[in-house]
Amino acid sequence: MRLTEDPLQLDALIADSIDARSGALVVFGGTVRDHHEGRGVTHLAYSAYAPLGDRLIREIERATLAKFKVYHCRVVHRTGSLDVGEVAIYAVVRAAHRREAFAAAQYAVDRVKHEVPVWKEEFYTDGSSGFVQGCCIGPESCHPERSEGSRTSRCGVRDPSSPSAPRHDTKEAA
Amino acid sequence: MEIIVDCYGVTARLAGGPEHVIGLTPGARIADLLDMLGARWPELAKVLPACACAVGDTVVSRTHALAGGERLALLPPVSGG
Repeated sequence: MRLTEDPLQLDALIADSIDARSGALVVFGGTVRDHHEGRGVTHLAYSAYAPLGDRLIREIERATLAKFKVYHCRVVHRTGSLDVGEVAIYAVVRAAHRREAFAAAQYAVDRVKHEVPVWKEEFYTDGSSGFVQGCCIGPESCHPERSEGSRTSRCGVRDPSSPSAPRHDTKEAA
Repeated sequence: MEIIVDCYGVTARLAGGPEHVIGLTPGARIADLLDMLGARWPELAKVLPACACAVGDTVVSRTHALAGGERLALLPPVSGG
């Protein structure tokens, strides 16, 4: 499984990646930070559409292996409620040399962030919350005129209730 | 026929919940369903152009003809990582 509610286990991910041909091991971890665009953040809630998300992450891993000279690529993403400091995503890449490993890890993480159906809701210190503005997926969303084969694009969708805000805020009950 | 719509991310909030059973005429396509959803929830209508739809592990187009009992996932712009 590439999407899990359980805390991510880096030791196991590294153990599963051992490869004698590799001289480079790159690990990227994305952690929950305590601020976003000037607002204090207390925690995040990640949700996902697992049937598609799991398949897409595996496809991205395969694409990474095909595109770069790397021997191993694994990406896992956590769902559920995460406190500040917890790890939301790990990418583990092994390659013969560091240059390929760094490039491949960045490629894989970027694609997962932009293409996999995962949503991040931030909870702020003032008691409100908001979904982070994201990227459209699918060939028809946001930019139906774009060329065939383009699966994702940066999205300019705004909060429908507040055109100036890039998120959907909701004031939580006190 | 009835379609089950699973709303994810902000769409669940804008539609007042994550799961909705929608009645449609036989032969309806996803575009018809989205029109109906937008008419029911005007705030949701504003983000529907940015949403993708999926059945199972596959993204489907707005011309996809729906079958009764099908379960459709409504996927707003993603923000993982």
